[in-house]
Amino acid sequence: MAKASFPKLAARPGVGERLIDALLSGRGIWPAVPAIVVLTVVAVIPFIVLLSLGFSDFVVSRGEIVSQTFSLDHLSNALSDSLYWTTFQRSLTLALSTTALCLIFGYPVAYLFLVGGRWTKRLILVLTIAPLLTSGIVRTYAWLVILGGRGVVNSTLAGMGLIDQPMRIMNTHWAVLIGMVQIHLPVMILPLIAVMSRHDGRLVEASENLGATRLGTLRTVILPLSVPGIGTGAALVFTLSYTTFVVPQILGGGNYLNAATMIYEQVVYSLEWSKGSVSSLILMLTCLVMLVAIALVTNHFTRWTRGSDA
Amino acid sequence: MMKGPSGPATTVASAAPVLRIGAVSKFFGTFKVLEDCTLDVAEGEIVTLLGPSGCGKTTLLRCIAGFWEANGGTIEIDGQHMFRVPVNRRPVGVVFQSYALFPHLTVARNVGYALRMRGLPRAEAKARVAEALDTVSLTGFEDRYPAQLSGGQQQRVAIARILVMEPRVLLLDEPFNALDAKLRGTMQVELRLLIKRLGLTSIFVTHDQEEALTMSDRIAVMRAGCIEQVAAPDEIFDRPATAYVADFIGTSNFWSARAEGGLVRLPDGQTASTVLKGEVRVMVRPHNLRLDAAGQGPWQGRVAFHRSVGPLVEYHVEIEGGMTLRVATMRQSANRPIRDDASVSIAVVDPALCAVYPG
Repeated sequence: MAKASFPKLAARPGVGERLIDALLSGRGIWPAVPAIVVLTVVAVIPFIVLLSLGFSDFVVSRGEIVSQTFSLDHLSNALSDSLYWTTFQRSLTLALSTTALCLIFGYPVAYLFLVGGRWTKRLILVLTIAPLLTSGIVRTYAWLVILGGRGVVNSTLAGMGLIDQPMRIMNTHWAVLIGMVQIHLPVMILPLIAVMSRHDGRLVEASENLGATRLGTLRTVILPLSVPGIGTGAALVFTLSYTTFVVPQILGGGNYLNAATMIYEQVVYSLEWSKGSVSSLILMLTCLVMLVAIALVTNHFTRWTRGSDA
Repeated sequence: MMKGPSGPATTVASAAPVLRIGAVSKFFGTFKVLEDCTLDVAEGEIVTLLGPSGCGKTTLLRCIAGFWEANGGTIEIDGQHMFRVPVNRRPVGVVFQSYALFPHLTVARNVGYALRMRGLPRAEAKARVAEALDTVSLTGFEDRYPAQLSGGQQQRVAIARILVMEPRVLLLDEPFNALDAKLRGTMQVELRLLIKRLGLTSIFVTHDQEEALTMSDRIAVMRAGCIEQVAAPDEIFDRPATAYVADFIGTSNFWSARAEGGLVRLPDGQTASTVLKGEVRVMVRPHNLRLDAAGQGPWQGRVAFHRSVGPLVEYHVEIEGGMTLRVATMRQSANRPIRDDASVSIAVVDPALCAVYPG
């Protein structure tokens, strides 16, 4: 009988290949190591240095710190300073109203994406993503042209005879808010669209078949199912607008003080690094608290997703 | 006019149909998906739309439900035109292929959805939900979410959700596709018995002929947007109106022949009657053929392959001209299967059950 010839087993891979295989096995955190190293060097270590400046008195001589002693003075000074309170309150108000307005303007677009035809969907995607292709700074400067004293808004209103003198929009709270909403709208719409397109399109038909009106369907089916998208969008827009620097700086014309512009002034103009450090810490912690709050609310409205492992 | 107490269901046979579909057409752009589909469905009847994918059966169902508006023809329910009646005002309930249960609502709230949308008082809604869940034997599952149920249970929730709205017409869009093969058979029988018990007028869409034969009072076989034949399952199976229907339903053997004087001569020497003349195609079902081992009849063949299919033995018999006939015989303990490669003679059992189509 002829000797059976088995196909040869694959040759034992070399050391390099075996190492890569081990890395890709999913055991341990090895694939994440490059990112961790980079982040430690460029983010974690500088942040620790920054924190140490906020919690110490130090003496600088010829550009170097020569003595440093632990101190809570900067933190207690900041907490007793009413400027901090009003600035952070302003940041919070701005971020919350931006988030709310983005949701109000973004949700209908996402709804249209859900119920619209193929071309409506494509158009919405293109129009949502296109602004992200240009820099936020460029888009912010564009608002100068629109909102300025002789800008499009004022000249149109004047042309229609609705106003005698140009309205002062630039360098106000309103200019900042308008800019913020426009810049951050895509960040709200995209998660909403992602969540909505994940669900079975038949759900809307089923709801109407069971006698629901369009509004009824929106209220009882589409809205509850899009809560995770609302949560993600709100968290992103809130974080970005709470810590934003460019829009308030440009559209606020240097008059608008929010947390980020305050830190900028403390560090760059008045060279008060300790103050800047404490401000940054407060900004980060309050942002974290808000994110946890958003997560808790979102979780409360998506309890049904956790019953799915039976 | 006074209405007397409703009698037993059998007496309504002569009453007007619940659902009338009259010459319905539907275009997508210039592409004709449905062409002059006409179908009446009587009270309590289950009619199946059967056809391969793309034949327009789901399109017709969606037109009845109102998800799409037909471009021509009429759809009437209880004599009322459905043209421009929005989905949520049609007395029609749909069981979707995917069931489309609301994942964020419990079973009880899924089933009570239609009642909630109608603003029914809570106590009454609760009683009707309990009743519907009892009908589909899901009492005790009120607080589960759809994701916590098996496929079969999800299907029953989808049915209960429709039952509470008491629709005039029930539409089922391939409701067994999401179930595994074994469960499918049981659920088909269960669902048919349930629908019959409730007396619901139903349209059932499927591409699976076995499902159609199980579920239906009548089957409408569809082909490329047209209804090819509407008849009871037995009639569709035994007397398919066209070669297409014969080919689509069950297994069939075809061969060409000549018809003269109202008769077609079969290869085994018998004759079948026909109204056709000239070139024809003759169709015979596998179970209408008989094999005799070492026979001497005029129709000879060779067994190429045989296999056991449950209670049947199926033979593939090669005959003259390179054709293969399918022959099915009952498995009987006394009658051992004929071995492969054996020479056999073939005979038609009942020539009256041979169908003859234009060639």
